[in-house]
Formats: sequence, C-alpha cells, structure tokens
Amino acid sequence: MFRYLIIFAHFHMAFRLPELDSLAALEQVNLVYDKDAYSDDHPFFIVQLPSDEDARKLARRSILIKDVIRLYADEPTLERVLETARNTPDLIGPYANSSFRFDCRAFGSTVEHADQVARIEQFAFLPAGDVRLKNPDVIFFYMEDYGTLHTRGHLPPAEPFRCMFGVWVGSGDRQLVNKYDLKKRGYLGTTSMDAELSLVMANQALVRAGSFVLDPFVGTGSFLITCAHYGAFTMGADIDGRQIRGKGGKSIDSNAVQYNLTGRVLDTVVCDIAHHPWREGEIWDAIVCDPPYGVRAGARKLGKGPKSKVPPGPLVPVKPNGEQRYPQTVPYELDDVLVDLIAFAAEKLVPGGRLVYWLPTVTDEYTHADVPLHPRFRLVANSNQVFGTWCRRLITMEKLREGEQAEEVVAIKGEGEAQAPAHAKFREVYFAPGRGSQPSTPPSERA
Amino acid sequence: MRLITHNMLQCHVKACPPGQSYPLQIRNAELEALDAEFNADFVRRLIPKLDWKVLRSTAFELGVAQLPEECPAEPTEDDLQMIHKVALQTRVKEAEMVCSGCGHVYPIKDGVPNMLLQDHEI
Repeated sequence: MFRYLIIFAHFHMAFRLPELDSLAALEQVNLVYDKDAYSDDHPFFIVQLPSDEDARKLARRSILIKDVIRLYADEPTLERVLETARNTPDLIGPYANSSFRFDCRAFGSTVEHADQVARIEQFAFLPAGDVRLKNPDVIFFYMEDYGTLHTRGHLPPAEPFRCMFGVWVGSGDRQLVNKYDLKKRGYLGTTSMDAELSLVMANQALVRAGSFVLDPFVGTGSFLITCAHYGAFTMGADIDGRQIRGKGGKSIDSNAVQYNLTGRVLDTVVCDIAHHPWREGEIWDAIVCDPPYGVRAGARKLGKGPKSKVPPGPLVPVKPNGEQRYPQTVPYELDDVLVDLIAFAAEKLVPGGRLVYWLPTVTDEYTHADVPLHPRFRLVANSNQVFGTWCRRLITMEKLREGEQAEEVVAIKGEGEAQAPAHAKFREVYFAPGRGSQPSTPPSERA
Repeated sequence: MRLITHNMLQCHVKACPPGQSYPLQIRNAELEALDAEFNADFVRRLIPKLDWKVLRSTAFELGVAQLPEECPAEPTEDDLQMIHKVALQTRVKEAEMVCSGCGHVYPIKDGVPNMLLQDHEI
C-alpha cells in the first residue's frame, strides 16, 4: 500500500467521504483510511491504496475529487519537504529521463508567480528530463495549506502551516458538472436537480454500464440523465404526466436527445407510488429520487378529498364534453411518502441494490433517529446540505443480500415514538411565519 | 412504452380479481421501432426478471417477433440481440391496455402509459 493525497473540491463537504466510499465499492478498489483524519475544514485527505492504477480508478468518476497525488512528503514547512524529498529514493531514480511539469498550488491563500518559481527552483535537485507543459511524463505537485482564516474575514497567514509534495496520478471528472449544467439544458422544471448533486447521486447509487435504474418521482428527469450518462438503463414514473410529456417539443425525451442518451433513457410511466402498478419482482439495481416535499411542487397522491362531490360508482375516463378526466388527488404527507418509498424499494430492488433519496428536515429539530430505517436495508450514508432553517439530507441505503443482517433495526413508522421526526409536516414548518428570517430558497426539490 | 415496461405493469384496481390482473392486453396499438443501446450484460440480467410467456405472447400478438417457447437457458449473442430488439426496441406509441380481469382500460398516449386510477378504484 502507498500513501495518496486526495484533493477534494472544497464544497459539498458532507458528500465527499460518502462519494469516495461509493467509488471504492464501485471500482472494487482496496481503499484504506483513518476516518478521524478526515476534516471538512480543508480539501486534503490522506488514504492508502495499492497502486497508482487504483488511485486513478478511484478518482476517474468522482465529482468531488479534483486530484490524486502520490504523496512523498507531508510536512509543516517547505524546508522539511525538501529534506524528505532528497531522502526519497523513489523520486531520485525513475524520472531522470522523463519530461516533466511542476505544479505549485495553495489552499487558503495566493502564491504569486515569482514566489512559485522560487519554490519550484528549490526542487532542482530532482533528476528529471525536459520541461513540457502539455502532457509531460510526470507532474510534480507541491501544495501549501494556509487554512481557512480568509473565509472568516482575516488575512491569510504569511506562512503555510502544512506543505505537501508528490507526483500527480489522476483527476476526478468535474468537467461533467459543466456538461450537465442546468443552464444549458433544454427542458427544465422548478424541481430539476443541479448537475453536480445529480451526478454525485449516481455515484452513491453505484450506477454503472448496464445498471437498471428507476426514479419514481421523475419530474423533469434529472436523474435519468445523470444515471444514463454512466451507462445505466433508466425508467421514470410520476403522478404528473404533464411534466413527463413536457411542452412545445421540450420534454424528458428531448433532454435525452440533447445529451445523446436516447439509447438508455427508456420509458416513463404516469403512476402513483402509493398505488403503484408494478408487478411483483426484484427489478431495479437502483432507485434514485427526490421525493416531493411540497415547497415548490405540492406532493399529491390519488384519493378522494373530504369535500369531494364526485358521485360514487364507476367514472369514465372521458368527461361528457370530451375532455379527459383526471383522477382526484389528495395531499401526501412527506412521512407517508417515505414509508411508501422505502417499502417500495424493499420490494423492487435487487439484493445489494441501492436507494438514494433526499430527505428534507428542519435544521434545529433534526436527530439521527429521524432517518427512516428498514429491516431489509443498511444505511450507507447520510449527507447534509444546509439552507439555513432547513436542510436536506442525501440518504443512501443498500438492500441487504441474503444472510446479511442490518446493524440496527428500527421500525420505520410510529412504533412508540414520542416525538415526530424533523421532516414531519415539513411543509407547514417551512411556510410558517416568523421562523427565523426568510427561509432560504431551496435550489430544487425534485428531479 | 417499450415491451420491457409492459412486461412489468399490471392492473392494480382494488376490485380486480386476483390472478387476472396480469398481463394487460394491448389493443389498437400503433407501434414504432426505437433505437436502444445493446448491452449484453444488461439483457442477460434482464432475462430472469422478465415474464417470458408474456413477452412471447405480446410480441406475437403485436406481430413483432416469434420468440421461442422457452427462453434459451444459455442465450447466445443472437438470442440476446433478439430479446433486446423485442423488449427494448419495440415501442407502443398509442394504444389501450386492457385488464382481462376487470376490464379497466389504461391509455397509452405518445408512448407514455397512464396507470392512474380513479379514487373509487383504489
């Protein structure tokens, strides 16, 4: 095993380790790390991996990893880094005839070009061939960490408190965030999920070529697109057929055309998860969704309201005036949505399949007990994205294989719970007057 | 709606007689051929999830293909291609899906089946 430095993107911190774990599972890489060494305060994380090839595999699909460096020195000062590098035989031999480039970077401060050159020149003792900026044989990588003082209104310190040096081995795939940017997408709704988190969700769901994925609250189909990008065959369902069909030639299908994914974005079905039409069987490898929680899109399910005036007895689907009759719907509390979703996933996922979904909660009232568990699932990850008074959590659950035991089994609803979970009546709390200042606007609700 | 999806949908009207809610009969179908990526591994893993008899009879009734009586136990590349063509590349664009148990009609419009029920049916 060798030491590698992972340089994460410095946001969506709560999603970084879960994504790393998911990618290790997906790529079957033997990843070893000390969880206590991880911090949300900086982008650096040191892990152990068997080889450079494994390091590249681990990073190649990552949305939240920028670079992976084979680490040779991790010291408090540049002087110490130089000393360590001088005494590293691995650095002295193999690059003598290699073309090279030297990258010098900093976190939490800016190092002027002249100062960068001054630092790089001190590494002149490293035997290497000619400088080549584009596609060199080897990229030496030196990084200084100045901490996060600058984010709190202070000047960064004059000297870094951590200096790292190594050889670059691979990068993440952050350019996808740009490729699937919502600003460039033809068909959108109020509930479309931003590209970055949609892609992270596909990684959480272990989606790969040939996976079969369902989004039961498909909306405008954000997750169909990102999962299909990774080679999955995708299906969607929604109670609202208007979103599926779209308008003016723009629809889920036109998005699939835009990204050249029509061969894998299969069908969408208008149906209700509370009364669903899927026959028995373990069908999907992953269920990826953002359940409706009623801030921008009020959640509905089929049913008769208390003031319903519709006469009893069979109704024809076409009204006397020739219009299509849409069935009645009633509001659908988030709690009930979750119970239905998890029960559905328990039935329809293949063993080892993953359910990845968003759970909105009220920030001050959240406790870990609020995350619904199920005897047929293992909770894999729970990542928080805060929007002031409320937040949403990306929950990843894996359906147990035969013989596997859940670490902890908790009833998913009711049983003797004294307190309502922090997502209960979420919509009422979100819209309640005088809850802190203005609630921050959710960037999206539903894919 | 591709035939892969038809293979997985059933009537879910509450009063539908048990055992008769599947499969749904396709009536007045307008079909189209669609491209779908061929992934041998996906099709191989799909086979045990399919109701072969239903796929076979549906493909026959729609005049799409004559599938063998039994699904090949060890499918060759040609078998996988054939299943791929029937299940993933045949799309019902407009049709009615009728439940032979209770007679409920689910319309398919623009390739999207509408499986919603009226409130007295759930």
